[in-house]
Amino acid sequence: MAELQQRLDEFKKTFESGAPPYNAPHEAIETMHRATAELKATGIEGRSLKAGDPAPGFTLFNQDHVQVASSDLLRQGPLVISFFRGHW
Amino acid sequence: MELEALQQIHSDVRALGAEIVVLTPELERYTRALHKKLNLTFDILTDLHLNVASQFRLVFTLPDYLRDLYKSFGSTLDRFHDEPEYRLPVPARYVVDKLGTIRSADVNADYTVRSEPSETVKQLQRLVGSQ
Repeated sequence: MAELQQRLDEFKKTFESGAPPYNAPHEAIETMHRATAELKATGIEGRSLKAGDPAPGFTLFNQDHVQVASSDLLRQGPLVISFFRGHW
Repeated sequence: MELEALQQIHSDVRALGAEIVVLTPELERYTRALHKKLNLTFDILTDLHLNVASQFRLVFTLPDYLRDLYKSFGSTLDRFHDEPEYRLPVPARYVVDKLGTIRSADVNADYTVRSEPSETVKQLQRLVGSQ
């Protein structure tokens, strides 16, 4: 399978071409570009936690309504934490 | 695509004694469906009202004009997240060591740019090798 960034680039190209299956209007694409540029300009990337910072702990419900604690996972080994905006 | 890519490295991550979790503001009824659809072997955790993402300082509010655009596509965050304010996390991937210290942070406000999961595996290899 292709690398992740390559697949993202292909998706972006298809989406921004305005072709099916997305049929994205030109104005919508412009709006999304504007929003991304504005978000970058807020400096949010620079303010977020960085290497060397302590990671906040958490206890949250998983997809099966079972509580999962980061402290339990870290007892086993290192942890990859991915923040995902959702599938919508 | 991020989730499928993480699924591909999950066995390598496990072999290194490490684990993956995904945090999303989506409610459990949506994470359950997504987890099943993608056949994931790691957990998706519901970060209700972005409490954890806020502590990582990753939260932003969608501008009104973008909210209106997404609504026109039929996407309503208040339904998926119980989140009337339309806040979201910036896409981010962290590697945390056993002591709870962040060892790498990949944060990008442009959600069409992501670092390769293979890089995350390499970071874990260096981390495990140094302990």
